[in-house]
Amino acid sequence: MNVDQLADQLRRDEAFMENVVRWEELPTRPARYVPFPDTLDARLIPVLEKRGIHQLYTHQAQSIAATAAGKDVVVVTPTASGKTMCYNLPVLSAILQNQDARALYLFPTKALSADQVSELYELIEAMDVDIKTYTYDGDTPGAARKAVRQAGHIVVTNPDMLHSGILPHHTKWVKLFENLRYIVIDEIHTYRGVFGSNLANVLRRLMRLCAFYGSHPQFILCSATIANPKELAETLIGRSVEMIDDNGAPMGKRHFVFYNPPVVNRQLGIRKGVIPVTRDIASMLLKCGIQAITFAKSRLTVEVLTRYLKDLVRDPLGNAGRVRGYRGGYLPTERREIERGLRAGKIDAVVSTNALELGIDIGALDACVMCGYPGTIASAWQQAGRAGRRKDTSIIFYIASSAAIDQYIVSHPDYFLRQSPENALLNPNNLYILLSHFKCSAFELPFEDGESFGNAPGSEELLEYLADSSILRHVDGRYHWSAEDFPASEISLRSAASENFVIVDITDPAHHRVIGEMDRYTVPMLLHENAIYMHEAQQYQVEKLDFDACKAFIRKVDVGYYTDADLNVSLSLLDVEQQQEAPGGGVCALGEVKVTTLVTMFKKIRFDTHETLGFGHVRLPETDMHTTAMWWTLSDALAARFSSDTLKNGMLAIANLLRIVAPLYLMCSPQDVVVVYQVKSPITDQPTIILYDSCPGGIGLAQKAYGMQRLLLEKALQIARDCSCAKGCPSCVGPEGEIGEDGKSTAMLLLKELTR
Amino acid sequence: MNLRDKLRAIDTPKKPAAVPPAPAFSSCWSRREIRDPDDFPEAFQLRRDTVDLMCGALTPSLPSVLDPTRILYLDTETTGLAGGTGTVAFLVGLGRLTREGFVVDQYVMRDYPEERYVLAKVEEALQHCDVLCTFNGRTFDIPLLRDRFLLNRMQPGCFDLPHIDLLHIARRVWKMRLKRCTLSHLEEAVLGTPRLHDLPGSEAPQRYFAYLKTGEFALLDEVLTHNAQDIASLCTLLSAMAHLYEHPDAHPHEEDVFSMGVALERFHHPEEARQCYHLASRGMTRTKGQLYLARSWRRSGERQEAAAIWQGMIDRHEGGIVPYVEMAKHYEHVDRNLPMAMEMTRRAMMLLAEPTLFDSVDTQEQRAALQHRYDRLKQKMKKE
Repeated sequence: MNVDQLADQLRRDEAFMENVVRWEELPTRPARYVPFPDTLDARLIPVLEKRGIHQLYTHQAQSIAATAAGKDVVVVTPTASGKTMCYNLPVLSAILQNQDARALYLFPTKALSADQVSELYELIEAMDVDIKTYTYDGDTPGAARKAVRQAGHIVVTNPDMLHSGILPHHTKWVKLFENLRYIVIDEIHTYRGVFGSNLANVLRRLMRLCAFYGSHPQFILCSATIANPKELAETLIGRSVEMIDDNGAPMGKRHFVFYNPPVVNRQLGIRKGVIPVTRDIASMLLKCGIQAITFAKSRLTVEVLTRYLKDLVRDPLGNAGRVRGYRGGYLPTERREIERGLRAGKIDAVVSTNALELGIDIGALDACVMCGYPGTIASAWQQAGRAGRRKDTSIIFYIASSAAIDQYIVSHPDYFLRQSPENALLNPNNLYILLSHFKCSAFELPFEDGESFGNAPGSEELLEYLADSSILRHVDGRYHWSAEDFPASEISLRSAASENFVIVDITDPAHHRVIGEMDRYTVPMLLHENAIYMHEAQQYQVEKLDFDACKAFIRKVDVGYYTDADLNVSLSLLDVEQQQEAPGGGVCALGEVKVTTLVTMFKKIRFDTHETLGFGHVRLPETDMHTTAMWWTLSDALAARFSSDTLKNGMLAIANLLRIVAPLYLMCSPQDVVVVYQVKSPITDQPTIILYDSCPGGIGLAQKAYGMQRLLLEKALQIARDCSCAKGCPSCVGPEGEIGEDGKSTAMLLLKELTR
Repeated sequence: MNLRDKLRAIDTPKKPAAVPPAPAFSSCWSRREIRDPDDFPEAFQLRRDTVDLMCGALTPSLPSVLDPTRILYLDTETTGLAGGTGTVAFLVGLGRLTREGFVVDQYVMRDYPEERYVLAKVEEALQHCDVLCTFNGRTFDIPLLRDRFLLNRMQPGCFDLPHIDLLHIARRVWKMRLKRCTLSHLEEAVLGTPRLHDLPGSEAPQRYFAYLKTGEFALLDEVLTHNAQDIASLCTLLSAMAHLYEHPDAHPHEEDVFSMGVALERFHHPEEARQCYHLASRGMTRTKGQLYLARSWRRSGERQEAAAIWQGMIDRHEGGIVPYVEMAKHYEHVDRNLPMAMEMTRRAMMLLAEPTLFDSVDTQEQRAALQHRYDRLKQKMKKE
């Protein structure tokens, strides 16, 4: 059965269609071709033709032309549109014409690097020319490193390695830096938040070194579809870029099915589980012989689904191998084998975490099943993009779980399909991040008086400050690194706080193993002594938290409860940056705050029934964090209309709604923003709802929220209004037991006033 | 809040330092010290072929005639031990043997702008020398100085000299006996001249930063003394090593002689290696020495010499099953005497015959290998 037949059959199936909230058909898109441009080195053309490429897609030709014109470009096209050609062709062309030319490729993960190198190898081998391409990362053997440094035309690495392995040792890379023509950064949509803010600063350091060695590289950036690729690209590299988003690659018809599992308990609003539903749909595809990928959020779910599907096809002929799981933690060789199997059509079904979401080449499949919403629209489209043949029809199923965000998406498919505002944010000038990289840069090369650090503000003050603290020495017009430390080792690009806690599993006394890390601001909540900590669906109990050594020691347990720490958050105001009158007589403001958190006790809560089984005390120091926040106040007149309990319930309900809405519209993970409410806030002296950036210093989420404050409240109101529950449920304002009888109605009243 | 206050709030600033008046920056600080030539009695006798034995083939190669007065001994003190381009050599010590004595020149940058003068002194000295001698300089000092040259836009080509790194030689010779091969440890254990009031090298960076803050040059006194002593020790140590390589028979520690044999064999000096193995066939390295000696003979094609050693070991009940196995191979492949090969295998098996309660994996493997050999020989005999 092919996809068209399956689609027809499903549409006639009433029982199935009952749960389909929306069936969207995405139209076919024809290919648009352009002949090879003249700027391309002639030696490339026969090689391309041999691979069946006789002309280029419009976006490929445009990016080659813009690059040839000396511009920095960002290419924005979906998965499987041939975007690697957009950078491989100009780079190879440049090296063919000048053997000294060098290029640096940055990929967010090692797996992607490996994939890209093999593709480049094929082109280079086919041309039979001497262009050396090497990956340089943690896996590169010591003996090979010297060759990479001296002879590599194209060096493929990741931001972390560039940060700690290449830049601080730039004198070993003279050849690369002196001749650097292109810097290629793929998958830039992954560089948002802390990671992006760090990368932007790593690039500032890189460009300083290029200037020292006299090279002026151009950037070729690639992004999946997000709302603000140009802004993201420009913030990352600190220069203006030309955006190329005119996708010329063809696409067959695609069905996009939004499926909401049926309600099985109307009182409690419980729906049929997302995993069994996903299992049924994936099995159906498998039986129909339609090659499909299923995305699940956790590794455990991947394993459960894989096992079920394998059992379905298991036979003495070894057909179970037609079903594979794919996730982080598999060995690289195994992953490569699965990728090859998918491309060759030897694997019919793969169940994966988001590990396969990035641009790893697995060819195009017939169908994609999303087991729950992956968190951001960009990820969802990337996952969906795995299904999509150039000619044939493909089908995508989105299956909503009962989580609030999933229910929001499934009940507002237009939000998803029509691309409401959604942005990738980063803030290269976050002071914590900037200061760390400024130190690294000063270590790499002395700063001259008046020298700037990319487009970062305040480099003079930073230099003076570091000189005052005896980290730099200002003498004779230059600032010299004057400390014993190796500053790059103090920063992790992927998290904000420099000191992460390591989590050590001590279940086996003979073999302690580190199973994870956690930033210090979250540790008091989740890793206090006696907390139940969950890791890969396994329960652990925290035996000891060594705050000074930044270590938590945990032991496997199997208990029927989880723990919930009571976090006392107090906020104090440092500075108001902007404010505006808000409807309802209050104000909406943006500013800097100090967040002091203190965990004093925790509750043991039983699974299933959620009853409290007991309490425990926690003795930990207070944690201070400076960050940016935005807040809404309710005017006294508005507040006076409610009793204090009612007001409290209403504010809690609004906070719950904002916790759902904010990550959606700020395009961040739920843990990146915190929403709290204070009936009488020490910041404003009035009832206040506060949203703050959970990363120290902020990465711009509060600013963005301030800019779309009205939209956030409107969307919050919309969720409450559209939800079918009467007095609250976990999918909108929170369960009635938490927000009281009047919580939902009060929240809706308040929100109406605030958006009047 | 302004930027400065924010920085204060998120960081923990250290106390502001008193900045000393800036010097003129037209040269660096330097000092020369000449040590009594009598303290370096053997340094003038250094021969090229001995260095060849110690180092193997160097790139670039040594000059055909080695002039001991054209060896430059070099050691740096740096602002950090982690490496990376932010690390600076604030003190470079250079030693030369002259007829007047051992001359140690030390160059210190009194502040960062003087670095280029220190580097210029290094460049000049290197141009007047044929060979470089350091302790761990291959990994640390020279790459660091090359980096500093590049950062100061100077050509690092002057470092392309034959380079004797004493740490590498020391590890080859003394690691087995001494375990630790730091310079100060070698001074004590090999040269017999322990340092009494020495500043640990790891404290040098802090001393330098303290000096920069206070302008108190005396803070560097101990660093200078330490560095000068290091340089002088390089010369003494090189002589001591050369002496050892030239007179292994006079050396009291068989482990060192044995280790030297291994190093010599690796650098393709089989005869010298065998001399060492022969000398080391006593005491702690008695078994190993003989086995390595026999192996070396075998590799040179002198199979009967090798066999004589294994047979001797068997006669004296030395070396466990190894000489039996070697003799079995010898009888099978060289003498083509299958019954004797069988006999040797059988005797080795008897040695291992009694299984103990806790057989090590090793023993089990040996036993299996012998059984395999036995079966194979049996087959072979049947066929013939």
